Amino acid sequence: MSEYLNIFLTILQRDMKLAFRNKAEFINPLMFFVIVIILFPLAFGSDSALLKQLTSGIIWVTALLATVLSLEAIFRTDFEDGSIEQLTLARYPLTLLVSAKITAHWIIFGLPLLLTALLTGFILSLSEQTMMALFITLLLGTPILSLIGAITVALTIGLRGGMLLSLLILPLYMPVLIFSMLAVENASIGQSIAAEIYFLAGMLVLAITLAPITTATALRIRLS
Amino acid sequence: MSKLNVKNLECIRRDNILFQGLNFSLKEGDLLQINGVNGSGKSSLLQLCVGLIQATEGEITWNDENISSSRYQFQSEITYFGHTNGVKAGLTSLENMKVMHALSGSRAKIDYSLILKQIGLSGMEDVLLSRMSAGQKRRVGLTRIFMATSKLWLLDEPFNALDKSGKKIIEQLIVKHCSSGGMVIFATHQTMEINEYPLQHIHLGNNNE
Amino acid sequence: MSLYKNLHRWFHQFASPKYFYDISHTISRWTVIICIVCFVCGLYGGLVLAPADYQQGESFRIMYVHVPAAWMSLFVYMVMAISGGIGLIWHIKLADIVARSSAPIGASFTFLALATGAIWGKPMWGTWWVWDARLTSELILLFLYLGYIALQSAFEDRRVAARAGAILALVGTVNIPIIHYSVEWWSTLHQGPTITKLDKPSIHVSMLIPLLFMVLAFKTFYITSLLIRVRTEILEYEYNTSWVKQLLGNHNNVTN
Repeated sequence: MSEYLNIFLTILQRDMKLAFRNKAEFINPLMFFVIVIILFPLAFGSDSALLKQLTSGIIWVTALLATVLSLEAIFRTDFEDGSIEQLTLARYPLTLLVSAKITAHWIIFGLPLLLTALLTGFILSLSEQTMMALFITLLLGTPILSLIGAITVALTIGLRGGMLLSLLILPLYMPVLIFSMLAVENASIGQSIAAEIYFLAGMLVLAITLAPITTATALRIRLS
Repeated sequence: MSKLNVKNLECIRRDNILFQGLNFSLKEGDLLQINGVNGSGKSSLLQLCVGLIQATEGEITWNDENISSSRYQFQSEITYFGHTNGVKAGLTSLENMKVMHALSGSRAKIDYSLILKQIGLSGMEDVLLSRMSAGQKRRVGLTRIFMATSKLWLLDEPFNALDKSGKKIIEQLIVKHCSSGGMVIFATHQTMEINEYPLQHIHLGNNNE
Repeated sequence: MSLYKNLHRWFHQFASPKYFYDISHTISRWTVIICIVCFVCGLYGGLVLAPADYQQGESFRIMYVHVPAAWMSLFVYMVMAISGGIGLIWHIKLADIVARSSAPIGASFTFLALATGAIWGKPMWGTWWVWDARLTSELILLFLYLGYIALQSAFEDRRVAARAGAILALVGTVNIPIIHYSVEWWSTLHQGPTITKLDKPSIHVSMLIPLLFMVLAFKTFYITSLLIRVRTEILEYEYNTSWVKQLLGNHNNVTN
């Protein structure tokens, strides 16, 4: 059992080391996130009351789009340099190794995205309850995005036409968006968000259970 | 006694029939070279034997069990060096070797510096692969066979990036592995100079064997 | 034991592309007839015989196209996912072909459901589009279909395309209930009670029977068009084999 933990940590560490040495791959989507958020006050006027209502929604939608941009990085170089082949042939289950890679993606991108989103919300003067709801939904939601994203990016890596990934992924992301925004709205009017949080937590558990093995299967299919 | 058996193998890539009805078997101590020009299916044959791609016809068995049905059992007994190197350009040689070693599941203690010296990269433990030449990167990939403890080795063009002395070192390593009961299949278009050990051949491309 | 053996043999024979090609001619002849009969009965019954609904007047009649189309859009997705799964697990080429061929048909049904839904909604709400829960779910389903078709066409190797598509379809299958449920939740909270759902009016036998005819008509239409597509795909998949070469050769001789 500890052997499995060790190899999980080894791969996790490997991917994080690689990310730190190639920061652009993960900083660029975060920059994209911030820039797109800035577009909205530019479009609607900074004092607009409408904008105030839309802030959390804008943050969540932009977070989705930025995540889609960051996903390619999980597998692209691994495909090109043959590391995926070696992972497939290793003496450990591919599902385990893939879980390590997805976890690495969340730590490198999902967590910073969470913090950046919260910072943005703070700067844009969201209320305390809204911030709390934003925090919890992003905390539960960003791992779901990484997990579902991993499946889709494993299917589409290296294919011509960069839009294909977005087309496939965004319908799958919609429930996460819907429930997070419902929670944020309920929080802003002081109502309980328990139901939405339970649903998000349920989706997270489902994703943790099914996504790694599906991603592993998709990778094997792409190698053949 | 371990045995690899290939029966009636057919390989179709992109609607081209690369080979059909291929039969051979390998037992402990066997050293097999696959010859053929580019595109004749050498890499595909190795990928089939490793289990990365599926054959359209035929069967590959390891110890009389189909390699797809006993995948983990089979994979724990092979080391594969592929067309791409299987190393990360963003890591140093030492870091790459440590990951390779960890993935192989072997607990043995490895002297990484010695291996690097043997393959002609002495002193380059902490050099990032992105700063190395293509040949040097390929050698770092080759270090996996120095660390390998598995029975069957499958190597795709292992001599490509090497000079004469490097080639000799790998040849000696392969022969040593076979003499102590291991099995090696390698694909190359180069001519080998292995005189002290029986070398079997398969030719792809002209005839369907 | 022999029943199992017979089933096994029949299953494998059925899954052979050549056998399926031969029997599909016979099957599709029958399904075309059933389809036309059902369409005539259903349309006549729905458009002429059935009484006008006391709430919605004549406009409810669009349901005779909208409801079967919506049902079929989901049904075909299930067929796509299941046959994709069969092809993935048991490496049966015909299953891959059925999955791939079903996708455009299913997408068309979805588009038809959306269009008729919009047409149905216009007299009721005055706008062409409204964020009704069912319509929104159908729209997302359309994107799932389009994504599947796009993914399959992005691969050159058909076998890899089929298997990747199967994974996507299975992931979509898990997600469809989740998406539907979340959209419904969203819709009831946002739209409020003023928007009525695009539902069948309280169903009376004279309204129900034409609907059942239409459902059968749509189903047989799907089977017929599926068979036509599958026949063509089989020829493309198997063009290397002798029986296909002979078949095409014969046709060439006849036209010359």
